[in-house]
Amino acid sequence: MKSFDLVVIGGGPGGYAAAIRAAKLGLSVALVEGRELGGTCLNRGCIPSKTLLKHAEVIEQIKESKTYGITVNDFSFSIDAMVNRKNKVVNQLRNGIKGLLRQNKITLFNGYGTVADDKTVTISSVNETQKIQAKNVLLANGSTPFVPELPGLDTISYHTSDTIFDLKEVPSHMVIVGGGAIGLEIACIFNSLDTTVEIVEMADRILPNEDADASDYLASQLEKNGVVIHTNTKITGFRNSDGHIIVDMDKQGKQQTIETDSVLVSVGRTPNLTGIEKLSVQFDGKFVKVDKNMGTSAPGIYAVGDLIGGYQLAHAASDEGIRAINHIVGIATNKEAIIPRCVYTFPEIASVGLSESDAKEAGYAVKVKKVDIAANGKAIASGENRGFMKIIAEEKYGEILGVVMVGSHVTEMISQGTSFMHLEGTVEELENMVFPHPTISESLFETAGAWLGKGIHYS
Amino acid sequence: MAKEVFMPKLSSTMEVGTLLQWFKEEGESVEIGEPLFEIMTDKINIEVESYEEGTLLKKYYQLDDEIPVNTVIAYIGEESEAVPKDPPVGNDQEGSMEERESSSTTEATETESNVKESQSNKVRATPSARRVARENEISLHSIQGSGPKGRIQEQDVAEMVSQTETKLSTPLAEKIAKDKGINLHNVQGTGSRNKITKADVIGHDTASSDEPERIQLKGLRKAVAAKMLESARSIPHVTLTTDVDMTKAMEMRQALLPIIEEQTGYRLSYTEIIMKTTAHVLGSHPYVNASLIENEIILNKSVHLGLAVAVENGLIVPSIQHAEAKGLAELTVMSKTLGKKARNNQLTPEEMSGSTFTISNLGMYAIDGFTPIINPPETAILGVGRIVRKPVAIDNAMEIRPMMVLSLSFDHRAIDGAPAAAFLTELKECLESPYGLLV
Repeated sequence: MKSFDLVVIGGGPGGYAAAIRAAKLGLSVALVEGRELGGTCLNRGCIPSKTLLKHAEVIEQIKESKTYGITVNDFSFSIDAMVNRKNKVVNQLRNGIKGLLRQNKITLFNGYGTVADDKTVTISSVNETQKIQAKNVLLANGSTPFVPELPGLDTISYHTSDTIFDLKEVPSHMVIVGGGAIGLEIACIFNSLDTTVEIVEMADRILPNEDADASDYLASQLEKNGVVIHTNTKITGFRNSDGHIIVDMDKQGKQQTIETDSVLVSVGRTPNLTGIEKLSVQFDGKFVKVDKNMGTSAPGIYAVGDLIGGYQLAHAASDEGIRAINHIVGIATNKEAIIPRCVYTFPEIASVGLSESDAKEAGYAVKVKKVDIAANGKAIASGENRGFMKIIAEEKYGEILGVVMVGSHVTEMISQGTSFMHLEGTVEELENMVFPHPTISESLFETAGAWLGKGIHYS
Repeated sequence: MAKEVFMPKLSSTMEVGTLLQWFKEEGESVEIGEPLFEIMTDKINIEVESYEEGTLLKKYYQLDDEIPVNTVIAYIGEESEAVPKDPPVGNDQEGSMEERESSSTTEATETESNVKESQSNKVRATPSARRVARENEISLHSIQGSGPKGRIQEQDVAEMVSQTETKLSTPLAEKIAKDKGINLHNVQGTGSRNKITKADVIGHDTASSDEPERIQLKGLRKAVAAKMLESARSIPHVTLTTDVDMTKAMEMRQALLPIIEEQTGYRLSYTEIIMKTTAHVLGSHPYVNASLIENEIILNKSVHLGLAVAVENGLIVPSIQHAEAKGLAELTVMSKTLGKKARNNQLTPEEMSGSTFTISNLGMYAIDGFTPIINPPETAILGVGRIVRKPVAIDNAMEIRPMMVLSLSFDHRAIDGAPAAAFLTELKECLESPYGLLV
C-alpha cells in the first residue's frame, strides 16, 4: 500500500491549494478528485459565472454605446458560443492546476476517495479500486447546491448553478428562487441576455447577510434594469401548465402566481459528505466540526471549505487549507483570517470585516462614514458613477473594522480595505496615503478623509 | 549677561532636589515671581519662583532628574544671548562639589585598575543620558560612556537603543500601546518578522493585569520612605500607652465649640485640645521636647508642634511654632489651615520645618494604641487613638466613660523610661482635668 504524508480529498480551491503548499513544505502529497480539478469554483461556480458576467457586461456596454457617441446598429449573441468560451476558460484553468500538481510532484488519483478512521483512503474509479495510507488527511469535499423540498419541485425541470452555465437556449422568463450572491449574479447574466428575471427571496431583502445599504442599492439598480424582486415571499408550489411552469407563492400573505419557462434554485449549498459517511468525526449541524487549526475530532484528519460551513467562499477554503497544512508541519497561524466577500453583480458589491451592527454588537464604539461614488471623476468619465464606499471604524483608535464598496470594479478594490485591516493600518494612515487620480479607488481615500472630518470633496 | 537659575537649597538638610516640572519652555519670557519650576525635596514639593526677568534661554535638566543644590539648572537673560551648551559646574557648590570630586577620584582609580563601574553602583552619566536610558528601560551599566572620564552621554544611550533590536509594530498596535501606556519594547510580536499587532498589545495588557502593579518609589513617597527607614534604623524606639478618660475634655470641647466657631469660623476638634495640652505639659518636660543631633541633646525652649497629615501618596508634617503660647482658637485656625495647605501641596518650607515634637492622630479610625515612628531629630512622638465609650471602674462602681489611648514613642538614647512615663502620666492627668490649663 502506497503511503503519503498527506492525502487531500477534493481538488477544489480548498484542496489543491493546500496540496501544493504541503508539497512545497516537503510533504509527500496525494490528491483524490472524483470529477474535474478546480472543484465547484472553477467548473460550476465562480469562474463560469464571471465568464458569462463579462459577456453580459459587453452586451450592456453595446446597449449603452449610444451614450458614448457610438452607434452599434445591429448586434446579436450566441449562447452556444458563449458557453464554448466559458468552457475554454475553464479548461485553461483546469490544465493550469494539473500542471501545478505535476510540477509539485503531487500524485493525482482520479476517483472518489473513501476515508476510514485509520486514515486509509480507498479510491474507486470506474475500472479499479485502490487503497492508500495517509499520515494526515485533508477533507476538502466541497458542497452541492441545496435543493429544498418545495411542493411540486420534483415535477418540474429546474436548474441549479450546476446546470445553468451550460444552457443551450436563453429562456425568455426565469424565476430565481433565492436572492443570495449566486442567484443575483445569474440574474444579472440573464437580465443582460434579455430574459425577464424574477427573484423570489424569503427574507425582507436580497443579500440578507450583507450590508443593508449595499443590498438596497443593488435592489434599486436591478429593478431599474427590469429585474423583478419579490422579498418576504415564500414559494408554495410549482406546477406544469401547457409547456410552462407556474410558480405559486405567498407574498406577504398574498397568493401570487408567476408563469415562467425556467426556474433556478439557488438557496444555498449543502456539504458533500461522499466518502466520509463512515468516518467518526463530529459534526456541527450539517457541517464537519473543526478547531481553529481545521482539525476535526479525529486526530490527523482536517477539514476545510464548504464542508465546514463558514463563508463558503473559494478564498476562505484556500486559506483554511493552508492553515491546516501549517498545523501539520508545525507553523503557528496566530492571526484570524480577514475574509473579503465579493458579489459580481451590476454594480458589484465587495465587503470585508464587520458590518456596522456586528461591530456595535462586538462592543466597539463605531463610527461609520459613507461616501458616494456619484461625483468621482474616473467613474463619471467611464459612465460608471454608481455606488458608494463605506468605512466602519472604531472611534478611539480609528481601527478599520469593516469596509463596504458598491460600484463598478469594487471587487478589485476591496483588497485595499483588507490590506489596511490585515496590516492594522487605521483610518489616519488610509487618509495619509496618496491615491492616484483619477481612479474610482480615490473614493476610499475620500471616505477616510470624511470619516476624520477632513475630506476634500465630502464631509 | 544671562543670569543663572540655581537648584535652591530649601532646608539645612536638603542636598538634592528632584525636578518635577518646568512651567516655562525655552524661549518663553519669565517675570519676577512667576513660578518657573517645581521641585521635590526630601520633605516637600514646591514651586520655585523666578528671581529674574527675561527669556528662559536654556534648561539643562529634565523631569525626574535629581540635581544637587546650588547647581545651575537654567539661564534667564536677553533673547538670543549665548549660554553654555552644557550645565556649568558652578563655583559655589561647596558641598556637592566635594562629593563630585571624591566620586570622580574613586572612579578614576577604578578605571585605572580596570575595574568596571558594574562593581560599584555609581555610573557616571549626564542627566539626559539617564533620561533616555530610563525612557528606553536600558541599564546604564551596560553602556560604555564616551564622555570625559567615561561619563555616559545621551548619544551613547541613543546608540545602544538603536542597537537593540528594532521592534516592528502595526500603526494600530502603536496607538493602543500609547493609549494604554505600554512600552512596545516589552511586547512580544507574533506577526510577520515578529511585528507587534493589536492582539499582542492587548494580550500583553491582559497578561500583565494578572501581575501586581509596580509603582516606582519616587517623589514624596521616596522621601517618606527614606525618612522612616532612617528613623526606624537609627532610633531605639520605646512606646508607652495609657488610657485617658476624656469626659471633661469633651465637656470643655462642647463649651468652647460655639465660641471658637463664632470667633474663627473653624470647629474646635480634639486634636487642638490634645495639642494645647501637650504643648503645656511639654513645658515642664524639656527632655521630651528635645532634638538629638549627632552627639548632642538639644533641649528646646519653645514647643514647635508637628502635626502628621496624610496626603495623597505620603505623609507631611507641618509645624505650629510656639504652640505653648497659642490659645485654642489660634491653634484651631492654624491646624485647619496648615492641614488644608498640606493636602493641597501649598506648604512653604518654613511651615514644614523646625518641629520639636510631633502628634500623629489616627482617632478618626477604629484605632486605639499604636507605635508611632519618631520624626527625627525629635526625640518623641505622640500617637492619638479614637475616643470610645468603655466601661471603667470609678471608685467601686462600673461606669461608661469616653476613653482614648495615647501612645508615646520616645528615643531611648535621649530619654529614659521614667521621665517619658512621667510626661505621659502628666499629659493624661491634664487631659482628664483640662481646666488645669487655665491655672
